[in-house]
Amino acid sequence: MLAYLARRLAWGVVTVIGVLLFLFVLFFTLATPDDIARKAVGEKAPQAVLDQWKLNHGYDKPRFWNPESPGDTMLAEHFRRMLTFDFGNSDADDTPIGARLRSGAGPSLAFTLPLFVAGLALGISLSLFVAFFRDTYIDRMGTVLAVLAMSVSMLLYIIGVQFLLGKLLRWFPISGFDYSPDVMIRFLAMPVIVGLLAGIGGDLRFFRTVFVEESGRDYVRTARAKGCGEGRIMGRHVLRNSLIPILTNVVMAIPFLFTGSLLLESFFGIPGLGSITVDAVNANDFATLRVVVYIDSLLFIAGQIATDFSYTLADPRVRFG
Amino acid sequence: MKRRLGAVAFAAALALSACSNDPYPDADDSRAIFYTVFDDPPKTLDPQVAYSVIDHSVIGNVYDTLLQYHYLKRPYTLMPGLLEEIPRAEPQPDGRVAYTLRLRRDLRFHEDPCFERSSPGSRTRDVTAADVAFAFARIGDPAVDSPVLETLVKISGMREFGENLTKRRKEDASFAALRIDRQYAEIGGIAGVRVASPRELVLVLDEPYPQIRFWLAMPFTSPVPWEAVAWYDGHEGRELFAEHPVGTGPFRLTRYEKRSRIVMEREPSWYGARDPGAPGTVYPTDGEPSDVADGYLDPARVGKPLPFLERIEFRREKEDIPAFTKFLQGYYDLSGIPQESFDRMVHEGALSPEMSAQGMRLAKAVGADIYYIGFNMDDPTVGAPAGERGRKLRQAMSLVADTVEFERLFTNGRGIPAQSPLPPGIFGYDPDYRNPYRKVDPTRAAQLLAEAGYPGGIDPSTGQALRLSFDTPATDTRSLLTFQFWVGEWRRLGLDVQIAATSYNQFQDKVRRGAFQIFQYGWVADYPDPENFLFLLWSGMARTKNGGPNTANYQDPRYDALFEQMKARDDDPERLRLIGEMRAILERDCPWIPLFHREGFALYQAWVAPPKPVGMAFAVDKYRQVDPTLRTELRAAWNQPIRWPAYALAIATVAVVLPGIATWRRERA
Repeated sequence: MLAYLARRLAWGVVTVIGVLLFLFVLFFTLATPDDIARKAVGEKAPQAVLDQWKLNHGYDKPRFWNPESPGDTMLAEHFRRMLTFDFGNSDADDTPIGARLRSGAGPSLAFTLPLFVAGLALGISLSLFVAFFRDTYIDRMGTVLAVLAMSVSMLLYIIGVQFLLGKLLRWFPISGFDYSPDVMIRFLAMPVIVGLLAGIGGDLRFFRTVFVEESGRDYVRTARAKGCGEGRIMGRHVLRNSLIPILTNVVMAIPFLFTGSLLLESFFGIPGLGSITVDAVNANDFATLRVVVYIDSLLFIAGQIATDFSYTLADPRVRFG
Repeated sequence: MKRRLGAVAFAAALALSACSNDPYPDADDSRAIFYTVFDDPPKTLDPQVAYSVIDHSVIGNVYDTLLQYHYLKRPYTLMPGLLEEIPRAEPQPDGRVAYTLRLRRDLRFHEDPCFERSSPGSRTRDVTAADVAFAFARIGDPAVDSPVLETLVKISGMREFGENLTKRRKEDASFAALRIDRQYAEIGGIAGVRVASPRELVLVLDEPYPQIRFWLAMPFTSPVPWEAVAWYDGHEGRELFAEHPVGTGPFRLTRYEKRSRIVMEREPSWYGARDPGAPGTVYPTDGEPSDVADGYLDPARVGKPLPFLERIEFRREKEDIPAFTKFLQGYYDLSGIPQESFDRMVHEGALSPEMSAQGMRLAKAVGADIYYIGFNMDDPTVGAPAGERGRKLRQAMSLVADTVEFERLFTNGRGIPAQSPLPPGIFGYDPDYRNPYRKVDPTRAAQLLAEAGYPGGIDPSTGQALRLSFDTPATDTRSLLTFQFWVGEWRRLGLDVQIAATSYNQFQDKVRRGAFQIFQYGWVADYPDPENFLFLLWSGMARTKNGGPNTANYQDPRYDALFEQMKARDDDPERLRLIGEMRAILERDCPWIPLFHREGFALYQAWVAPPKPVGMAFAVDKYRQVDPTLRTELRAAWNQPIRWPAYALAIATVAVVLPGIATWRRERA
């Protein structure tokens, strides 16, 4: 168990270092420090102002190798900051990055969490229902609708839902955000609905397959032979035993609830982490962007390890080793 | 079971009937609130650093400037702001020039806890000349990163001040730990910025630079209290000064969630409220002759104390479509027109009847800018080394570049075709001037090309079409199409112009090294003076030599001499004559093909008093007026729900679900 965990963590560290290195090289082949400075200070700023900005922000150092003092390079500084979680200030507006990301996690969670819970509940109950009536009208219609829902792009859902609920029925404001909970609900209803529509098709197909496969197993026949009701069979036996493949899918998604959604946040005006990421890309803000990618990679590794653990909880037969 | 279902349906219906699309459920509709949008968040609210439009749209309301522009007069005209009068140049015996800046009486900073540091128990204090000097010192402080430092090094001792500061900070840690105003004082401040009395500041420039007046009309030189800079340092839970402005302006910042919402409220302590009649504190009584007909001199506004608004609400909209939908619902007062809605909104340059019927109106503003195609004048083929041949080649290429057709295809017909670098609204702009090389004349172009030694576009040395490269900073399809348009025009002459598309960053690098032939660029004015446009072709600003904005690397001794004379003069007939002479040189030499001056179309609602279009980024919010009663009425009328799609959707759902229920019953039985 411990050995497994250690191995997993070691691989995680290697992955993170790779990500950081890749990020550094990729970014500086796309944008020179001059470009970052120009974006920050303004298009018209003369070279002397750009040079001063680079000096003030540590972009005047050699990138990879400094013959005079080997530790004093941008690459070394990059690793030092990331590994010590001392993220520093944004290139775009000189404000602390850590505080900004913390302020973005709240708005992101405010809609990803309800979306996650509702999506899971809806996905599991609908697919149980469909699987229960397999090979009937309900199942076939469910499949048709699910495939249809999967085929439509997120952008179309956004525009469609904004048009129907915001523009015609006028139930909800088109976009916006507010920190007081009673007002926030009005703004978050539409992004949650869009998220549900966009996600439900895939979930329904996947969960249904799992349930149908599970309900063909011997123990289900045994339960039925003992006189167990169909509802009880589905709800108790099938659902429990189907958890493993579902967990793989679900636990992996949990860490990313913090990072929000690039598209939904942009269109619905939610000031979350997705929105912050898009801003950083637009502003050539390397300092912020690298932190976002770094945290994403950490979350990914955390998600993988959490998934492995959740197996042991769901299925006593699974053991590490 | 049935009763329970009914109760659920009733509760749902009740919940939905309480729903509305109003994005401001808490707002007081009777107040004069102005609702508008921003897309990218402000970078900084530090007046000495901020340089972008959105930054200035906040700063311009919170900080007053020393001078300001007249709201209605064109060409743009300066008038006093925090100063009592526009300072005059006082030539000194040693060739330097001094300006005396005299502050108005009774100016006070907005109330803020930071003032407790200088005078315990007090939350505000008077503005003094020292606060203006402090602003100049901040521009000169290399650690502040002010983008205008290089322009203002003309102030005596500015450069030395920065160098001394950096040196002392590096050598002496105890100096670097001093409070910021003490650091500035310790090294003696800037030699050319002298506080003569609490209300008088003397500014000394090393050389005549009349354009300094325009910098006094920008927030860069707005007075700033040292207390705010020292206190708001981001430590121990305090905000940063760049996020917490402390100014003197007509509005104060009350909410700064810069990724979603920015709110400013009218400031009762503004000097205009205590001292009505000062310039810019009441709505102007005079303007251009056309202003009466256009409704800008409506008696309901003229002479009334400013600001009219009680509150300004900026909401963030990153995407055009949601923003525009909210405008059409009445939730924004002002809006641009998204590309995809343009044809629905505007017909032949006027607002569509459908929109006019709702009371919306269209405002067109010509930007103080110039977009142009430039030639690299150092290039052996298209530039100065090619002499007369190169000149004729450039003239020929200019004669086939059809701006009107370009605008029809790409900008929905928006933009004023340019004849020279100077846009409307700038001294020296002549609406009747026609550049003979800017009309479309393919015959004359072909003739010039033959005279240049490229008959039919054929380069005799290769026997093939003359091959030129058009360096562009964009790789997306839409921008490439716009560049391809010009290439197509030149192909009609037989020229083979190849687009060299690179990333913006690589393009910048090529420009810096002078490794290009033809490029397209734009320039937006910092201040409304012809100098700010004509210096783009002055050899002192050549890009490859001096890193300046003369990207074409144009050099002409006669133009340079005229420029030197022109820039130091006031707006008089002689200056006009000099500008005409410079224009004639550019016309013949053709280092640029002037394309157009941008034209912005904006829609505003029936309840907004007509705003005079402004092509420059200066603060106009204090002149805005809204009628909240009319807004409430129209919003209610425009936002009646259209329910049939919901019924249609419900019927479709029932149609899908019913057979399912039948199946369910059968299976259970």
